[in-house]
Amino acid sequence: MKKLLTALLIAALLCAVPALAEGAHLTIAYQYGLAYAPVVVAMTEGFIEKAYDGDLEVEWVQMSSGADINTGVMSGSVDVGFMGVGPAITGISKNVGYKIFTNLSGQEHGLMSNDDSINALEDIVGSENQVALVNIGSIQHIILAKCLSDNGYDAHALDANLVAMKHPDGMNALMTGSLPLHLTTNPYIFRERETEGLHEIEALKAAWPKENSFIVGVAAVDLHDNRPELYKALCDGLTEAIDYVNGNLEATAALTSQYDGNSVEDEIRYLGMGSYSAETQGIEDMARFMFDNAFIEADPGNYSNLVFDNVKGN
Amino acid sequence: MSALLKIEGLCKVYDDDSREHAVIDDLNLEVAQGEFLCILGPSGCGKTTLLRCIAGFEHCKGKILVDGREITGPGTDRIMVFQDFNQLFPWLTVEKNIQFALKRQGIRDRARLEAITSDVLKKVKMDGHERDYPYQLSGGMKQRVAIARALALKPAIILMDEPFAALDAITRNTLQQEVLAISQQENCTFIFITHNIQEGIVLGTRLMLMQPGGKIAIDTKNPIARPVSPSSPGYGPLWDRLYAALYDTQHANNT
Amino acid sequence: MTKKTPLKGIAEKLIFVAVILAAWEIVARAHVFGARSEIIFPRLETIARAFVKNFVMGYAGVSLWVYLFNSMKLLLEGMAIGILLAFLFSGLCMVSHGFHNVYSLVVAVADLLPGVALLPVVIIIFGVNPGVIVFLVVHSVIWPMSRNLIDGFKSVPKLYVEAGRNLGLSGAGMLFDVYFPAAMSYILSGLKVGWARAWRGLISAEMIFGIAAAPGIGMYINQMRTNMNNAEMYATLVVIIIIGLVVQYGILNPIEKHTVVKWGMRKL
Repeated sequence: MKKLLTALLIAALLCAVPALAEGAHLTIAYQYGLAYAPVVVAMTEGFIEKAYDGDLEVEWVQMSSGADINTGVMSGSVDVGFMGVGPAITGISKNVGYKIFTNLSGQEHGLMSNDDSINALEDIVGSENQVALVNIGSIQHIILAKCLSDNGYDAHALDANLVAMKHPDGMNALMTGSLPLHLTTNPYIFRERETEGLHEIEALKAAWPKENSFIVGVAAVDLHDNRPELYKALCDGLTEAIDYVNGNLEATAALTSQYDGNSVEDEIRYLGMGSYSAETQGIEDMARFMFDNAFIEADPGNYSNLVFDNVKGN
Repeated sequence: MSALLKIEGLCKVYDDDSREHAVIDDLNLEVAQGEFLCILGPSGCGKTTLLRCIAGFEHCKGKILVDGREITGPGTDRIMVFQDFNQLFPWLTVEKNIQFALKRQGIRDRARLEAITSDVLKKVKMDGHERDYPYQLSGGMKQRVAIARALALKPAIILMDEPFAALDAITRNTLQQEVLAISQQENCTFIFITHNIQEGIVLGTRLMLMQPGGKIAIDTKNPIARPVSPSSPGYGPLWDRLYAALYDTQHANNT
Repeated sequence: MTKKTPLKGIAEKLIFVAVILAAWEIVARAHVFGARSEIIFPRLETIARAFVKNFVMGYAGVSLWVYLFNSMKLLLEGMAIGILLAFLFSGLCMVSHGFHNVYSLVVAVADLLPGVALLPVVIIIFGVNPGVIVFLVVHSVIWPMSRNLIDGFKSVPKLYVEAGRNLGLSGAGMLFDVYFPAAMSYILSGLKVGWARAWRGLISAEMIFGIAAAPGIGMYINQMRTNMNNAEMYATLVVIIIIGLVVQYGILNPIEKHTVVKWGMRKL
């Protein structure tokens, strides 16, 4: 028994040693899609490694939801994550142990319909028309709630009409007439706008314009407080990546189209329709709205509680 | 008087590996009511196939008539007792195994079902085991129940395919005596296949020896008065005659 | 060999569960995952409270009962259809060689397809309604069940079939009185696999396809995950475990005990 324990201990140490012996190490979790274009650029061009003075090994992990990244950060296995502004605010309100260190992108959202008799919110509220969106409690759901609230309806007036399904499934369902409404984001929204027979419910566009924050980057408080050089390299690398995207749309498209499966021409077009900036916009409003309308239980606090001090915006 | 069982020009061809192989070729046989016919023969001589044809399990050419009617498939007028102990349905108790077919024949009255069951179980000395499941019984006991199940249906013919071949010698002897006693009480015809010459002489009123291809080499009344024991007069010569014929056919078969 | 009493069996299981729970509690109290360990790895007491909260308060004012009820309804519907179809098709396989050929191919192919990958097609066919979930439950039950039934029917000893024919059985009588009881072991393991697959199929389908008007337990789990209410999420998993145990020990095991075990066809 003693031997076994010793063996296990040695094995554990052997696994731990390389991480300690080598230079700095950073684990970054991101997700899939056009909205993450600067992350793909930073990863392939090695911007963060270049911004760091010393030996840095960055481990990139693609995850499928903000909730997974939240768990990763909390358990200490993820240092940095990129996710929707909704889950980021939820995480901060839950005291996961991170703050926003940069904005990443803003994207267009739209509510599309295949039914000529549905043209405005009043045609939906109180009806049995189903609205497909990616998840209950997702940023798309919150944007819909905000749109309802801005137009004088209860924020949760359409909750019973929602159907949670992935973006492509929702697009299929809309195009085949399985349901009348789909609330989606870049690039699906562009494809749907180009599809004959579908029209847009205009009211939603104003609820959360593309200049507003959509995807943000979060970093563990521990990283910010205890490894400032590494934190700075992270911020600098990301800023450089965002600038790269804005200045080299074609080169970016060549990189990201490999992952997104679009043609390079389409990718350039779709990238051009997004808004890539390190400066946040509207996140305090968003946090307030979420708390006021019970999307989160705890008060996330004001802007300074949401972001690290180097972040600009509102 | 016409025979109970009449077989005319029976042919059975097995088709294996695209090579046709006649197991039985033009067999004719008559069995009278009340006879106990024991069929001996080497492996592969077609005796089991003959029994399965009579039971209606096989497609074959020729005519098989029971009581003057041509048979077209299995029926409860000919019940088979297999060599395999597992012929009882394991999901039914002993009594349900027996009553199963009776119910299908339209006997619904509980009292009557129970009367028949207890009667046949007494005949095979298995009374008291009504509620047992087959897995709780020994091999010999299972064969007794299988015989009881056959008796309950009052078939015209009971077909037995080496039912005791897998039993130990003592159990085998006991069961032979019981089947003998039953055959003398019941108004039933038996066709009994065996490898064992002693078993054939003890049980059969008529003995038949088959050769490969389904040829009948010997077909004789059993001349020895019952009960038969090895010391019965005539036992030795009959045994020798059957043994020689069996040995010869086996020998001929091997060369 | 010592004879094992049922009481001893229960004691062994209880000790195992107690050890697991104790290990959980120790890990939770040790804050293995850092200062915020309590959120991702809550203590048992927190999970117990969340368990009660799930039923009393639920999510957005809707108790977990409602989610459970919706899911169970779809699950039972799907299982009933799936099992019935499996019996029907497997029965047809015994009757028709051609059908058997085609159906074995269908089973081999269809069983490989993850239900959620079929979602887009299913939505196009069924539209956006709970029928989609029922379909996915049917999909997760019918193939393993069919495999087991066909294997079971095929392995019915020829002896039983011949004895049955001899005793006057044919057609449906043969199917019900010989094939079904003789294949009971296979039918039961088909049911066990089918039940487990149906549960998982249901939950994973509900996690990515949720109709807010008829929310199910998968949606509830997803909701708790999205909102970082991990204790509530674990508590919901406990509910799923409890239902699984009730079905295993309250329904499937007794059926097994009163059939194949009683018949000596299988040991408990």
